[in-house]
Amino acid sequence: MKVKVMHWHAVASWRWDTGKEEEEDEEADICGICRAEFEACCPLCKTPGDDCPLIYGECSHVFHMHCMLKWLERPSSKQQCPMDRREWKVAGSGTK
Amino acid sequence: MATSALRTQVSVKYAESLEKLLAADKEKRLNPGLLNYSQALTLASEYLRPYDIKDRAAMMRPRTAFNINDVRTAFAMVHFSHQLPALTEIFLEDMRKSFHLIEYEINAYMTRYEINGCRRLRETKNLELFRMLVSRLHDWFKAWHPPTECASPDSPSQTHTDVIPPSLSSFFSGTYTLSFQTRLFAALPPSFARGFKALASWCLAPEDYPPMVSASGAPIKIDAVWTEFEKLGLIERYESVISSVAYEHIERRIEETCPNNWAVPMLPEIREWMTQKVVPWMLKIFTHGVTSRHDTQSLLTGIGARFDFHVNKVLCDLRIKEIFNIIVDYPDSLGALQDLKETLQRVDQRGDLVKFLRKENNKRLLHPGADTQTILQQYVSTIKCLRIVDPPGVLLYKVANPIRQYLRERPDTIRCIVGSLVGDDESGDSLVDDDEPIQPLQQPESEDYGDLEWNPEPIDAGPEFKTNKPSDVISTLVSIYDSKDLFVKELQVLLAQRLLAIDDNDTARVDKERRNIEILKIRFGDAALQVCAVMLKDMTDSKRTDDHIQGQTPSVVHPTVISHHFWPTLDQSDIVMPGQFQQMQEDYAKQFSVFKPDKKLKWLPHLGTVHLELELQDRTLDVDVPPLEAAFIELFSQKDTWSLEELIKAVGNVDRSAAVKALSTWTNMGVIKEQNENTFVLLEQAEDGAEMREMAPIQAAPSLPPVQTVQQQEAEQMRVHWKFIEGMLTNLGSLSLDRIQTMLRFSPNYDKTAEQLGYFLEAARREGLLVVQNGMWRLNK
Repeated sequence: MKVKVMHWHAVASWRWDTGKEEEEDEEADICGICRAEFEACCPLCKTPGDDCPLIYGECSHVFHMHCMLKWLERPSSKQQCPMDRREWKVAGSGTK
Repeated sequence: MATSALRTQVSVKYAESLEKLLAADKEKRLNPGLLNYSQALTLASEYLRPYDIKDRAAMMRPRTAFNINDVRTAFAMVHFSHQLPALTEIFLEDMRKSFHLIEYEINAYMTRYEINGCRRLRETKNLELFRMLVSRLHDWFKAWHPPTECASPDSPSQTHTDVIPPSLSSFFSGTYTLSFQTRLFAALPPSFARGFKALASWCLAPEDYPPMVSASGAPIKIDAVWTEFEKLGLIERYESVISSVAYEHIERRIEETCPNNWAVPMLPEIREWMTQKVVPWMLKIFTHGVTSRHDTQSLLTGIGARFDFHVNKVLCDLRIKEIFNIIVDYPDSLGALQDLKETLQRVDQRGDLVKFLRKENNKRLLHPGADTQTILQQYVSTIKCLRIVDPPGVLLYKVANPIRQYLRERPDTIRCIVGSLVGDDESGDSLVDDDEPIQPLQQPESEDYGDLEWNPEPIDAGPEFKTNKPSDVISTLVSIYDSKDLFVKELQVLLAQRLLAIDDNDTARVDKERRNIEILKIRFGDAALQVCAVMLKDMTDSKRTDDHIQGQTPSVVHPTVISHHFWPTLDQSDIVMPGQFQQMQEDYAKQFSVFKPDKKLKWLPHLGTVHLELELQDRTLDVDVPPLEAAFIELFSQKDTWSLEELIKAVGNVDRSAAVKALSTWTNMGVIKEQNENTFVLLEQAEDGAEMREMAPIQAAPSLPPVQTVQQQEAEQMRVHWKFIEGMLTNLGSLSLDRIQTMLRFSPNYDKTAEQLGYFLEAARREGLLVVQNGMWRLNK
């Protein structure tokens, strides 16, 4: 018998590629600044996804881009990563 | 009065005194006067004496036999001597004595009447009998009447007009009438009232009865009958009877024409009929002898108002009894509602309406046998109907409360309301009236103190009644529940189910859903439906992505990519798609990551549908199946025989019942067969007796994507919280509800009120997990 697939209407959910492999589906990772899931959007946005992307730091900490930019605008940030206080540098386009 | 013995004595004494006087009176002055006087008295009383009109001989000797001039002189003398009262008394006494004649006749007639009634003779014969009785009574009355201006029309040649001086005639006639009527009424038996009523109803509607002719063969004139009634004073005495005749007639008419006739307002028709039939009748009866127009009018308005009131009352009662069916028939029953509205303004039946409708609702609507959709439909109709009848909405408030409470207890109310808000494809007649302009959901506002049009609330409003209730149907429905969050959540679930079922080549359906959401946004507000907007955006985005990737690398996979945070919780599943499916998935995922560099796909393999073409040895099948079935059949393409356990293991741990169901789908199609217990074999060739399947695609029984309902979600959450509660109680022994609530608030995702926590603890206690004592909760050892 041959099984030929004519059309497969599948369902998938997208995840940000944060470099961490998820074997089991535990709680999703959250942004350290706004405490919302990455796949949700930051408090300022209405839709997630490409309109509210992530930003990766060289220290391997990941945040919502908007959250991070807002943080960097504040003088108290001193351009440091809020998690580990290292100097903040954006790390290329994410690690794979 | 005096007995005959006394009379004899008195007359003897009188004669003696007269002789003495005469003897003493030499001048002969008194004599003529006294003699004349007594003669005059005798003559007058003789003239007036009531006689038996049956007696033909006596008929010959009526007042005509007397010499009129003599009588006149006699009366004048009596009057001159101021002896009229005495004369009157004599006359009345004579009348009393002769009254037995009348009584005799009355009894004769009435006995016959009653017997006929018992024997159920023809109605008209009986009526004729009665009418004759009345006629006779009238004759007696006329005959005995003292001669005044309006006496004896049957002897016009006689001029009685000045027998009694005009000033006295009214006195005489009044006294006579009073006395006669008093005795007459005392003499009438109780069945007279019945007969009178029957005769009156004949008079009102002679066409309802077979034609009646008098004993002489001439047709009866109704007017004559009424004149007799009036003369005899029966009208005043039996006024209530007459009114009741009219009432019954009205009721009969309304009973005949109005029940179940709801399309047009019946009230104008009934009024029309009243004007034509009843009012002329009333005119004849009640305005006899009343000449001035003013009097006529005032009389009429009083009586007419009474009848009108009665019309309203009867019609109102009738409509109230039918109100439940009227509501069911809405909007075809608008006429009846108009009627009801008008009549309610005049009569005081609002309380009755409320009571009756509540009872009917309880009996016919609010019971487990009724579909939630039906109850909702009826509720909406009730709202519309009662708004017509009673614009301020007091009645609606009272009637709707039980319905609302009942609906609150039904678990699928929200789903029904939301389904009809969105306009389900099945129900052509949704609750939403698309003609009404879409407005934002109205919140109950507080009193507007600056309103110049303010009126106090209607008098029968309850204490919690607010005048400015939401005016449109949807707001009322939503206000059954105190918060709209439940609605929004249910909406999300519904939308998710529908979107996932869409085959992504079908943008029309996505647009339809988008339109619905837009409408709902106006009602519920933007923020509440943000989530739905994201869901819709997902649909379009995934279409765009898919188009792009198909352009790059054609594939048969067309996924819908969702932002899982914004979609309701979907059931998890661990199945692994075997064989070519796996390959397809990986290819696509790779392409996706190329297209969107920092995103990757996580498959939800148990969702969606696959369109397969199976090439068996002797036939080809075109099928649409869920992925689990597709996985199984793929496995069968690798090996011919599988056992259930092997299959389950091969797809990586799926529910046994789901597996069995999937396999049964294929078995029904004749593709596989269950050989032994739990062992399945592929049928390359169709079994004998199995039908040839058609080439058309066969749909496996479509089931809704397994989106967790709101209830399931909540149950899940509570399970998590239960862990917390258990931990707390283990560490801290016994805690009160408030403390548990306070501590739970620190845990993430906790949004329950203390009341909901209380319910949950109660449920746990019923299951035996907790024990409560004085408000302190403990784990049950």
